[in-house]
Amino acid sequence: MNESSDTPEKGLNSVATRRRALMLGAVTASAIVSVRPALAQSAASVMNCEIPVPGPHGSGMNIDSYGKLVPRDTPGSFAATGQKFTGEQVKAAMRGSSLPGTSYNQSQAYVNYIRRLQSGQSGFTCYASLQMSR
Amino acid sequence: MHEFRVQVGPAAFRIGSTWKRPLDQVADLYRDYPTPDIPDYSVRLEAVSLLRRFIRPSVGINGDYMLPDAAPLPLAQALLASEMAMNLQMALGWRRHLLLHASAVEKDGKALMMTGASGSGKSTVAAMLGCKGWRFMGDEFVLLDLLTGDTVPFPRLISLKNDAIGAMQVTALDGRFGPLMPGTPKGDIRHLVPARDAIEAMAQSAKPALLLFPSFGFDPIVREILPSEVFIRLTQASTNYVALGEAGFTTLTRFIKTVPARAIDYRNGEEAEALVNQLWDELT
Amino acid sequence: MTRSQTPTFKAGQVDGLLVEPLDQMTLIYQRRSGVTHIVAEPIPEILAVMGNDFLSAEDVATRLASSFDLDDSNATAIVLARLEELASLGLVERRNA
Repeated sequence: MNESSDTPEKGLNSVATRRRALMLGAVTASAIVSVRPALAQSAASVMNCEIPVPGPHGSGMNIDSYGKLVPRDTPGSFAATGQKFTGEQVKAAMRGSSLPGTSYNQSQAYVNYIRRLQSGQSGFTCYASLQMSR
Repeated sequence: MHEFRVQVGPAAFRIGSTWKRPLDQVADLYRDYPTPDIPDYSVRLEAVSLLRRFIRPSVGINGDYMLPDAAPLPLAQALLASEMAMNLQMALGWRRHLLLHASAVEKDGKALMMTGASGSGKSTVAAMLGCKGWRFMGDEFVLLDLLTGDTVPFPRLISLKNDAIGAMQVTALDGRFGPLMPGTPKGDIRHLVPARDAIEAMAQSAKPALLLFPSFGFDPIVREILPSEVFIRLTQASTNYVALGEAGFTTLTRFIKTVPARAIDYRNGEEAEALVNQLWDELT
Repeated sequence: MTRSQTPTFKAGQVDGLLVEPLDQMTLIYQRRSGVTHIVAEPIPEILAVMGNDFLSAEDVATRLASSFDLDDSNATAIVLARLEELASLGLVERRNA
């Protein structure tokens, strides 16, 4: 039906037919990489995006220096009002400059918050696109 | 709501807009393109709120396919919003071909494709070659036919950024340019209408013959790339590889097994053109 | 560890895999999940020698040694790690004997 081998046997037989040295690698060395959807990269190139800090899931919370959502009265944490930062501002902040309107430490905490975003949380798609576009 | 329809390669778009002026800009730049009867995708340029329709108006990007986190753009950048919205439909919705984030030009029925990160120069080099005897096939997305493996053009407006704007104004002396949009999220942007042959032949595919990974800003050099690395890079350059399942796998593996690939570094347009011509003669 | 606690593994799914050997890497498209895996040595070799049998890591290492010159005396442990990796991706079936 096509140029690909239709069965593992057919594709893999050529691998095993000739005797040669086989490098087994190390116990801890993974030998498999799986292809993930590359939506993020395309998103970076085709859209203008922004990241709220924090998103609705963290509304009313502060952000500590590790980027975790913590109760408002937590010592050493920073207030966050859901201000939206653009992808470009976040990209610059990840390179060391501060997010607009924030102190250096506050900006670092916000960037750590953004780094911890997970799929489904507001801003994740935007952050993922920044990762992919370098 | 005002409306404009345009066919770009195999894709038919309907663009709706709250405002007439940006749509007139779009219509003028796309005036030589066919008008489809039935659009595949609708996109809408709408005010974010009633207030924002009149005061510091900003354009929300909406359409059949949307992403969360999309930020609105100022009304002065509505043309960019329209292009982004159309690209988003392709990136999220297209399933009829394997869609690669790449540029392409054609000569003698054979396609040269270029892919790389933003800033690699793939778009500028394709635009430049499009003025130098090659047919421009696209600067953002290139489609691979799932049955034949052919390169299918998607010659939308060429999106020039920053320094590429001045460079192309010198190269494409009789080119039609859109308005300069300074200070967009992607820097200064100005669109260029592809040459007439690119629009007239936008239904004609070509046999993929060479794949290049350009990098701008380094001393000129050519490097070989292993097929497995080409495969990984192209899966990351594709918006729909995973969604296409087995058809994506067979199309992409056929491509990497039949199309030679090289990475090229270059410092300016002349060097890029020389490397392209050298590799084209050697490998196709 | 006694024999009865040793997990066994079986390759070969009815839906099949598409396998494309390239250079040092091999592409495996898994029809069931629609996932493409890019695998390095010794994954293709392990899958190739497994056939349709439930095998322990030791069995697989023995089969590999009969086809290849192995570079490591720790072969069983390495093969077990790779089999567990394959099992976690659904590329082989794992059974606690």
